[in-house]
Amino acid sequence: MLLEVHDLHVEFRTRDGIAKAVNGVTYGVDAGETLAVLGESGSGKSVTAQAVMGILDTPPGRITGGRILFQGRDLLTLKEEERRKVRGAEMAMIFQDALSSLNPVLSVGDQLGEMFVVHRGMSRKDARAKAVELMDRVRIPAAKERVRQYPHQFSGGMRQRIMIAMAMALEPALIIADEPTTALDVTVQAQVMELLAELQRELHMGLILITHDLGVVADVADRIAVMYAGRIVESAPVHDIYKAPAHPYTRGLLDSIPRLDQKGQELYAIKGLPPNLMHIPPGCAFHPRCPMAQDVCRTDEPPLYEVEEERGSACHFWRECLHG
Amino acid sequence: MASTSAAPAAPATSPAEPILEVTGLVKHYPLTRGVLFRKQVGAVKAVDGVDFVLHRGETLGIVGESGCGKSTVAKMLVNLEKPTAGRIRYKGEDVTKLSGRALRAVRRNIQMVFQDPYTSLNPRMTVGDIIGEPYEIHPEVAPKGDRRKKVQDLLDVVGLNPEYINRYPHQFSGGQRQRIGIARGLALRPEVIVADEPVSALDVSVQAQVINLMANLQSEFDLSYIFIAHDLSIVRHISDRVGVMYLGRIVETGRDAEIYEHPTHPYTQALLSAVPVPDPEAREHRERIILSGDVPSPTNIPSGCRFRTRCWKAQERCALEVPALAVPAEFRHTGGPAAHDSACHFAEEKQVVPPEEPREDHGDTGA
Repeated sequence: MLLEVHDLHVEFRTRDGIAKAVNGVTYGVDAGETLAVLGESGSGKSVTAQAVMGILDTPPGRITGGRILFQGRDLLTLKEEERRKVRGAEMAMIFQDALSSLNPVLSVGDQLGEMFVVHRGMSRKDARAKAVELMDRVRIPAAKERVRQYPHQFSGGMRQRIMIAMAMALEPALIIADEPTTALDVTVQAQVMELLAELQRELHMGLILITHDLGVVADVADRIAVMYAGRIVESAPVHDIYKAPAHPYTRGLLDSIPRLDQKGQELYAIKGLPPNLMHIPPGCAFHPRCPMAQDVCRTDEPPLYEVEEERGSACHFWRECLHG
Repeated sequence: MASTSAAPAAPATSPAEPILEVTGLVKHYPLTRGVLFRKQVGAVKAVDGVDFVLHRGETLGIVGESGCGKSTVAKMLVNLEKPTAGRIRYKGEDVTKLSGRALRAVRRNIQMVFQDPYTSLNPRMTVGDIIGEPYEIHPEVAPKGDRRKKVQDLLDVVGLNPEYINRYPHQFSGGQRQRIGIARGLALRPEVIVADEPVSALDVSVQAQVINLMANLQSEFDLSYIFIAHDLSIVRHISDRVGVMYLGRIVETGRDAEIYEHPTHPYTQALLSAVPVPDPEAREHRERIILSGDVPSPTNIPSGCRFRTRCWKAQERCALEVPALAVPAEFRHTGGPAAHDSACHFAEEKQVVPPEEPREDHGDTGA
């Protein structure tokens, strides 16, 4: 495994109390594989990624348990200096909002080139040439001229390509993409996802795709991990989960999306709201919203049951869910 | 759009009279240069000739990507922007010509629900004041002593606890705030609601709740909706008819099945094929039309067909002649679902949404 996250716990200390954002997340990605982490806002999907990248704001955030093994090394035991060498060179991240992730007062050429100056000790001139090469690679037209331009001079799709170029610059083994296309229009989203998949194939990278879009997941993922209230509630190969979900939350999500291919009657809606992370319900965190909840769900937190090989569900009644 | 309104329309649209008729709607924002002598050097052509009809009790969906002008259309419908040209007729009366009391009476009947429930509610007002504020402007709807009761009824209607009347917006989640926005839209008992991306800011599970609410309110209060969104699946779910916008114009319009199952305009086809479908099995056999480049700037719209710069079918004719929004000649006599308005010289049918068996039903549907 390229990356293994084991039983990760993250909490945030706030004025109002302790918010338990991540409560025992375990997942792994292989080289060349795409893992989709699916969840709604507040499910802990981005916080987990930030912990892996080592860009969690501490304080208020705090990793209270777990291990993050990257190519066999436990990242959480590394010194900040060593960690910095890993970040950018061996693993890189693509953020949702390219406009606010790029520096508005530096040309895109300077920002792309910086990667080579800092990590590879290149001269500014060589770095500039590398920047043009990268922009060509992510198919930005007229790269030679545009390398001098600033982020605001690019369209949303082009900016996201620059983000991808920056992440790819040092050919890392792992890319974490946090909602990379959420801010883009569908036709541009298709362009960007295609580019990302192509570069992944070429460089045989592991990709963690964080998203709330079940459509995007179905298009590109190999495996999928569904998160709810800081836990993974279902983890499975992508084909299995769409055919027959083994957790009522996954099932609810799949049923609640309107379909392009049919005009629906009433949509299935998961009742209620996601829990407040300062007061996560006892037992199964999903039980107040679950149509299948029984007494045991209110008291006993379900472990990740083995549904099949490499497939798990954190539901006491996964059998009923899978077959019902 | 003459063909849909004049022709003996499909049975589901015909019995209701048109409540809103938009013809030749244009909004240009001038670009000026100079301080001492302001000169107009160009214009942002946000909306550049839009026609449509909304019938009573019907939902018209408008889809398009950012910058296509769909939100500007919405703003003109509720009189937040003055059109540069064109007419908006509400029950036969041209709203753009009205002023004073007559305008106020019309505006009462056309209300808006905004996209972002975080910025469209005043954080310093209580929910009761937010929902009751329309009564300040239209006191005839609810006399003063009656308002609190009315607001509580509205909260109940949109599925919120009436006791929350004294709370502030930050005490609510995104979905609940959107319910507040909807309650405010309903306060004056309007006939038309213009909803601009009402669920885009919400999580998937909450999105379904709000869409169901809007559908229920429509039948309960006999509302007509203009539903604007970029998400094609949601638009299909809620709309009776759909208009696809590109760079300030409607390029294709028809009933939902006509647009989704029998699109004839290449832009609609590209848009539909780009939507990720939540079915991994579709990955292999689905044809993707990936458009090249970005949408051109609305200050510099291509000649002829405005989609031609990204269209794989474009020929010389497309640069010279503006295609009219009408039933394309080749389908005019064949009839059937492909015979709907499409502004393309080379319109042809192409199925891009793979037909799928519906997933087995879930049984109970939560609120």
